[in-house]
Amino acid sequence: MASNNFLQNYDKGEVRTAWIFIAPLLLVVGVFVLLPVLGTFYSSLFLDVSYLPEHFVGLRNYVNLLSSPDFWQALRFTLAYTVAAVTLEAFFGIIFALLLNESFPGRGMLRVVILIPWAIPTIVSARTWQLIYEYTYGVMNYLVVNCGISAERINWMGTELGAFCALVFADVWKTTPFVVLILLAGLQAIPEDIYQQAKVDGAGMFRRFYKITLPMLMPVLVISLIFRTIDSLRMFDLVYVLTGGGPGGSTRTLSYLGFEAFANDNFGMGSTISVVTFVVAFAITLIYLRVGKFSEQLK
Amino acid sequence: MTRETMIKNFLIFSTGLFLLAFTLGPFIWMLWISLADRADFLVTGKVEYSFSNYYQVLSAHSLHFLDYLTNSLIISTITAVVVTFFSSMAAYAVSRMRFPGRSFVPLLILAMSMFPQISIVGYLFEMFSKAGLINSHMALILPYIAWTIPIALWINMSYFTQIPLDLDKAALVDGAGRMKVLYKIIFPLALPGIFSSALLVFIACFNEFLFAIMLTIDYTAQTLPVGIALFQGLHGEIPWGNLMAASALASVPLVILTLIFQRYIVAGLMGGAVKG
Repeated sequence: MASNNFLQNYDKGEVRTAWIFIAPLLLVVGVFVLLPVLGTFYSSLFLDVSYLPEHFVGLRNYVNLLSSPDFWQALRFTLAYTVAAVTLEAFFGIIFALLLNESFPGRGMLRVVILIPWAIPTIVSARTWQLIYEYTYGVMNYLVVNCGISAERINWMGTELGAFCALVFADVWKTTPFVVLILLAGLQAIPEDIYQQAKVDGAGMFRRFYKITLPMLMPVLVISLIFRTIDSLRMFDLVYVLTGGGPGGSTRTLSYLGFEAFANDNFGMGSTISVVTFVVAFAITLIYLRVGKFSEQLK
Repeated sequence: MTRETMIKNFLIFSTGLFLLAFTLGPFIWMLWISLADRADFLVTGKVEYSFSNYYQVLSAHSLHFLDYLTNSLIISTITAVVVTFFSSMAAYAVSRMRFPGRSFVPLLILAMSMFPQISIVGYLFEMFSKAGLINSHMALILPYIAWTIPIALWINMSYFTQIPLDLDKAALVDGAGRMKVLYKIIFPLALPGIFSSALLVFIACFNEFLFAIMLTIDYTAQTLPVGIALFQGLHGEIPWGNLMAASALASVPLVILTLIFQRYIVAGLMGGAVKG
């Protein structure tokens, strides 16, 4: 197609109309996305704190950021959180999608019900989880104690591990439906006769899953996980409501760290963190795309 | 019944029950607490049920619930309308007209949607401070348009390309302009796609939090998520009953919208995710 384009004769009027049609889109994206991104990069080169005249410091903000333990902790937390959440979402996503792909009474209802967590605003679900995790009268500790999982109540927000798990559970609850929907579409695209042939050859249910379903689902799975990973890496709202970055700053994501810097009127550092957040997310997306291509070649 | 079907039926039954508990549990808990007069009844054992939390949330002016709701509705609706208009024009050009850059523009726009919100919001704050827009509806509408238009473009494109090009050609020969072709021919035919992209944009704006908390200051422009995130009691203790009533009021319309239009939402998510 690319080589054809050079030979094509464009209609001048058509080209002009086309650009007029695209102009509003380019304008809003240019002014409210591209310009701010470039502006953020520019600001990251300045020392810009309130009550002080801003002045150019080159890459000193980056040096300061990379040598601060807070940054490395936030980076570690963001990555650990993303790996944990996305893994669980893939696991439950596959199980639920397999279920909803079978025919059984009540399937229609379940396919509708699964959208509910997705429909509830993140902040609202974060507040609900905050109540569920409440130390004295939260339902989570009620279940934990009464089902004998733990003899004592768990201090969800007071310990690093508790806060980490609390955030991951809330995220998995909210976003698994998205993964399920995409995987369900992928499952429905697998031709039925492959399964019939495998059945004739005597392959059992679990063997059919490993040999047929999983490999054929891989491309769709990779796509949904890319989307989920990009989203988790920039996670902000759950942390804001559930832990406020605590305990002891252990659950700050990169986005939250950036927000804190902006909220403390440290615009230079906030911009620096924002640029680094983007670079991290971009690098991981590139790795994913590599892996995605790799799985396509295998097929 | 063979052993395999028995195992299968057992798996379907148990996974189905788990799915039901998993998805509905927190939602039911929210509704339950919103109807209870106290949130600690699991420990104290004493509880009475009424709609008083809902009454308080809707009638107490100091809670500003209706202000937040109005702001959210205004901002999300205007954004959805403008995005639908701009994105369908662009999708029309990209999918049905010949011009240099037609394959480059959608990719560029997709790349723009990769930037995390945090790498935009700091500069927007400075920009809107200078323009005096902080704490206005415009401060959220403008970035929301730019933030949601890529997904709308891709969804609409995936629908527009399915419509035969001959329809345009016939209309153009008859002397219709491109704008007329878009609104008289393409728009009605691609309505399900346009509707699902508009719905997804509306929901995304209704949920958005980082822009909303950075670019607004008080109830004149704050949206529901900000209001609910900052919801505080008068005496420090979180008034869970009121908060859960507010949460239910904020989410039930979205849940109903999703359940009614789930077909469009699923189609939109697929169009955006699989094609993108």
